[in-house]
Amino acid sequence: MAGTDRSLSRHDTLLLLVCVGLSVGALSAPPAVGEAIGTVVRQTILVPFLWLQKRAEESRTSRAVVENLRAAHDSAAILVQALPALEEENVRLRALLALGQRLTTPYVAAEVLHQSLPTDGRTLLLSAGSDAGVRPFDPVVSPEGLIGVVRTVEKDQSVAMTWAHPEFRASAYAVPGDVFGIVAPSVQISGSEMLLQLRGVAYRDSVPTGTAVVTSGLGGVYPPGLPVGTVISHAEEAAGWERVYLIRPAANPERVTHVLILRKPGPESVAPAFHPDSLP
Amino acid sequence: MIILRSDRRRLLLALGLLLLLHFTLRPRFGHPETAPDFLLLALLVFSIRSRPGAAAVMGFIIGVLGDSLTPARFGAGALAHTVVGYLTAWGRAVFFADNLMVNGAVFFAGTWLRNLIVLMASGGPGDGLMRQLLIWSPLQSLTTAISGAIFLSLFRRWLDIRLEE
Repeated sequence: MAGTDRSLSRHDTLLLLVCVGLSVGALSAPPAVGEAIGTVVRQTILVPFLWLQKRAEESRTSRAVVENLRAAHDSAAILVQALPALEEENVRLRALLALGQRLTTPYVAAEVLHQSLPTDGRTLLLSAGSDAGVRPFDPVVSPEGLIGVVRTVEKDQSVAMTWAHPEFRASAYAVPGDVFGIVAPSVQISGSEMLLQLRGVAYRDSVPTGTAVVTSGLGGVYPPGLPVGTVISHAEEAAGWERVYLIRPAANPERVTHVLILRKPGPESVAPAFHPDSLP
Repeated sequence: MIILRSDRRRLLLALGLLLLLHFTLRPRFGHPETAPDFLLLALLVFSIRSRPGAAAVMGFIIGVLGDSLTPARFGAGALAHTVVGYLTAWGRAVFFADNLMVNGAVFFAGTWLRNLIVLMASGGPGDGLMRQLLIWSPLQSLTTAISGAIFLSLFRRWLDIRLEE
């Protein structure tokens, strides 16, 4: 009996080691391998469950509400608005609808299917895919500003990499447009909120606190004028040749429930759609 | 622990129910950072009833599912769920009591540990790490623990778990 227990214990340890080994192997494999496995799992085992989640999301913040927002004068809607969470949701949807009307770039509206892992804000699972015309490298925005970029596209869903992802980079400038830099997630450890950094700013340039930072359009992925955030402090100077600024992001990917995926953004600025009265 | 075929069927039904709740009820909570994680709860309930090796394998499978849905760093979820599943089953065999509070504490600790391992294995920017570990993770652990305690109370006969009063 004791021998059986020992062999079972060895069996347990062996299974643990195999699973840990496979996990570490997946962690150290190139990102493309993980993405390929994830795509296969999402398109097979998870299809019915993601369908259920999509229906659940739709029933919570119904797509019909988005489509009928402008005609929401009935008393039921007013009663619903009295609930703080739904009221907040409604405000966001109204803002998204207003943004959609102002945008001249074609776009696809999508729901965000939030997941339970704490890294959920770094990538987002979106409810629109190639069927809706979504392509890799399409920018993802919310009414507040830049969320990220589409990384993987499947038939009816896509995965976006947000600005909180360690690999995120975007070319940006400080309004009115005389200081350029590269936006990347902040690497500070003690912070209590997710921040961005404006890196690579020439040492001779300085950016005052409170300055808005928008995308420059360089690189061709993000259209110019997309709000990124606001400068909150000077972070560091690297050996006297560059300055780094901390930016409070305009949009929070962890809290966003609906987004717009911009299709084929051109070189024209989208700033008027986000700040119709203030930006050029 | 030997599980009879009828018990296994009921256990699978209970786990299936948690899987359904994860994709239907969880999105309705509104705040994804604090909503209970029914998928992890399914793993913890399974681990309480299983040997450490089986719990590690189940953890790996659930972790791969989680990594597929949140592909920020593929493998981090698999590693975290494997370790949490194994430790839960091992701890249950060694010193956990059949008590609702203790099981609730296991759910709380399991969720927090899972989040810690995922964040550490994912690496990347440190901003927000403390906020995740000290604010959002404890809140998610709390809602998961409460959901788990309610689930155990309702399904203790199905799960064949004796809970001391």
